[in-house]
Amino acid sequence: MSNEYSVQQFFEDNAEEFKLEAMTESLESRIPITGPDVHRPAFALTGFMENYLHERVQILGETEILYLRTLDPAEQEKAVARLFSRPLCCIIISKGLDLPPHLLPLAMKHGVPVLRTSMQTTEFIHALTESLDLYFAPTTMLHGSLVDVYGVGLLITGRSAIGKSEIALDLVERGHRLVADDVVEIVRKGKIIIGRGREHLRHFMEIRGIGIINVMDIFGIRAARIQKRIEVVVRLEEWDPSKDWDRHGLDEHTTDVLGVDVRQLVIPIFPGKNITVIAEVIALNHMLKVYGIDAAKRLDQQLIDIQESDKKTRKYLRYDVE
Amino acid sequence: MVSGKVKVTNTKGIHLRLASELVKAASKFRSNIMISRDKEEINAKSILGVASLGAEFGTELTLKIEGEDERDALNVLMRLFEDNFSRGEDS
Repeated sequence: MSNEYSVQQFFEDNAEEFKLEAMTESLESRIPITGPDVHRPAFALTGFMENYLHERVQILGETEILYLRTLDPAEQEKAVARLFSRPLCCIIISKGLDLPPHLLPLAMKHGVPVLRTSMQTTEFIHALTESLDLYFAPTTMLHGSLVDVYGVGLLITGRSAIGKSEIALDLVERGHRLVADDVVEIVRKGKIIIGRGREHLRHFMEIRGIGIINVMDIFGIRAARIQKRIEVVVRLEEWDPSKDWDRHGLDEHTTDVLGVDVRQLVIPIFPGKNITVIAEVIALNHMLKVYGIDAAKRLDQQLIDIQESDKKTRKYLRYDVE
Repeated sequence: MVSGKVKVTNTKGIHLRLASELVKAASKFRSNIMISRDKEEINAKSILGVASLGAEFGTELTLKIEGEDERDALNVLMRLFEDNFSRGEDS
């Protein structure tokens, strides 16, 4: 995860896409960009300094520039100076607007880079937030295999050599799609967890006894996927008779991935057990739950209903002796 | 938890054959062994993971080992790096 983004780096990465030009000679800022949010400092210009979110990227759009034009030169300078009363990472002018006359000297004095885009303000803010969101998104790496099974992203985890890759291969052979084997890069976008393979490892697999294979070469493009949302974690563990395995599935178990609770099932394995079919059923059952159909809950409800109606019958018959 | 820094002494960097030797050595221990380059941390028992570090000659890597045999594991793995996996200079 990145916590800081230097303005210089931001400019190099995005200048072309966001049609940015540097207005100050130096792009060295005293503080870096620290988050994906932006701020339009219209109120700060008018002198209302409360809730001036100065640490964010500051966007000057048409509203701000038009307001400044209504002021006489001395007032205008005062208004612009208010922006610099707090530390700033950078100022971006949108819509290719002309810079207010006092902006550049003050910006240089305070070491604040000024950029300008020719994009429309709203369009630019959407694109900028999306790009910064991705840059600041929390990421991590997990050990496991990620397979798209009937459209559900299953992350298969478990200790080394427990057979994760073999199960992934078996699933691919049955028509499902491999996203990543062994090392899964994880990124969080809002509450969604996305997994993908390492760039130069994509669709390579290690199978004990064979060595390295490439799933896309063997099975073709239909067997491969670049990234997939992770919806269920399937944790493989050796069968242990003393362990309390879930027998009814009424309770939801989750595991924490980058601060998001992801559904987790712990599946016991032993030689000869067909985990592939179980993985398919996990995916299908998950889809049913998404559609509001939960087998365990339905059976539970049926049992309760039957007892209720039995009770009524017994009550009716209690003194009915002929 | 024990940790140690190692340097890639092989002039070709960590290629597949070398990664496999490292993984084999690591897999002999019960401890959880992680190897990292900068911020990227990888399970040292995963051959693709180790290979994906793309560690070239001179790269500094950090070993982080946790478990009952962590000391032995660290000694063995550090020695492997020091004498270039018992290989000659360019292999």
